[in-house]
Amino acid sequence: MRPYEVMIILDPDLEERTVQPSLEAFLNVVRQDKGTVDKIDIWGRRRMAYDIQKKSEGIYVVLELTCTPQTVAEMDRQLNLNEAVLRTKVLRRAA
Amino acid sequence: MAKQPPRPVKPIKKKANQLKAAGVEQVDYKDVALLRKFISDRGKIRARRVTGVTVQQQREIAKAIKNAREMALLPYSSTAR
Repeated sequence: MRPYEVMIILDPDLEERTVQPSLEAFLNVVRQDKGTVDKIDIWGRRRMAYDIQKKSEGIYVVLELTCTPQTVAEMDRQLNLNEAVLRTKVLRRAA
Repeated sequence: MAKQPPRPVKPIKKKANQLKAAGVEQVDYKDVALLRKFISDRGKIRARRVTGVTVQQQREIAKAIKNAREMALLPYSSTAR
C-alpha cells in the first residue's frame, strides 16, 4: 500500500454538483481493493493555460489515496476510458 | 616608481536570498503562485543563476513546473513572439 495523489481534469460541460457522485464509481475501485480514499478536493472550474480537446476550462479534482500500485493503475485506466475525463496525473505522495 | 594600484577585487555578490528559504520545504506542482516566480514572462523556466536557489531546489522546481504544465496549470509558452 502506498500513498498516491491523483489529479483529474473533467469536462467543463459537466454540472459541478454531479462531479462527486460520478467519481464514486472510480473510488469504488479503490475501496473494493481495500485501499482508502483519504481526501477528495474538488477545485471546481478553472481556466486552463492552454486548450485541451478544444476546451479552455476544466473541472479540477485532486484525490489522495492509499492503495496498491495495481489499484491506481486500474483506476487510472478506467478514468481515461471515460469521455468526460480530459486528463489525469498520478503521483506518489511524499510519505 | 609609481606603485601599481591594487587590483580591484571582484566582489563576490551573493545572490539575493533564496526566496525559498523563507518558504516551503517541498515544492508542490499545485502551488502555481510560487512556481510563477520561477518562470519568465514567456513561460520559460528561469536559470539557476537567475533564481539563486540550490541545485537540488532547482531540480525540484523544474520538475514541479513540468508537472504543472502537463496539467495545464502553467503554459508551455505564453504570448510567443
